[in-house]
Amino acid sequence: MDIKIEKDGAINIISVSDRLDSNTAGDLEKKFIPKIDAGETQFILDFAELDYISSAGLRVLLHAAKKLNQTDGQVVLCCVKDEVKEVFEIAGLAPIFPIYADRDGAISAFY
Amino acid sequence: MEIRIANRIPEIEQVCEKIEDFGKSIGLDQKFIFALHLALDEILTNIISYGYDDKKTHEIIVNLAIDKGSLVMEIEDDAHPFNPDQAPQPDLDTPLQQRKIGGLGIYLVRNLMDSLRYESSHGKNKLTLMKQIKNDDASN
Repeated sequence: MDIKIEKDGAINIISVSDRLDSNTAGDLEKKFIPKIDAGETQFILDFAELDYISSAGLRVLLHAAKKLNQTDGQVVLCCVKDEVKEVFEIAGLAPIFPIYADRDGAISAFY
Repeated sequence: MEIRIANRIPEIEQVCEKIEDFGKSIGLDQKFIFALHLALDEILTNIISYGYDDKKTHEIIVNLAIDKGSLVMEIEDDAHPFNPDQAPQPDLDTPLQQRKIGGLGIYLVRNLMDSLRYESSHGKNKLTLMKQIKNDDASN
């Protein structure tokens, strides 16, 4: 799994590739949560290159969403592959994580 | 097909890769294989993360077979008894702030597979997962 973090104005764009599972979720948590603790509030997760997510990955995203909820922050997803999207739907998490088809759409969620 | 792994999280990916190859070799489509992969990953992650108190190496055996038009996956281990029927239900309707994070793995497995059967005897657990192969699950 590779994690890339870019900044577009106040928005943090985190691209995650390959697999987000029990083996890799801790790496994302270590990069994502400290940003929230440092006061960042706007996040896009770009899943264009993400092939797989398990509950271990969902748990990290829920942890982040809970923290962001306390600071009026927000995290949205973009470019999510069908199989990964279905995991969010089965888990009942689609209402918590708005999914946009592309990055521009996700960016517009913050304006 | 039988695969044996040690109780280490990085080994899950190897077993899942073998499952994917097996699924492809018998012509299952990507969606079906994804479901198998995710279900097995969730079960193995639970066993390895919560099933053992000691630091010793334990063996987990995964068996895969086709029986009467269903894919049957058996997972055998010597971890603490864990009956998925007694797993907590995830909190899907509670507002985010009060929501407890957990129980999602088994919930996913239940939704991805058609049935789960748990047996425990002589210090061994055996979990049998089944998923019916429908005509449109075949990729060709």
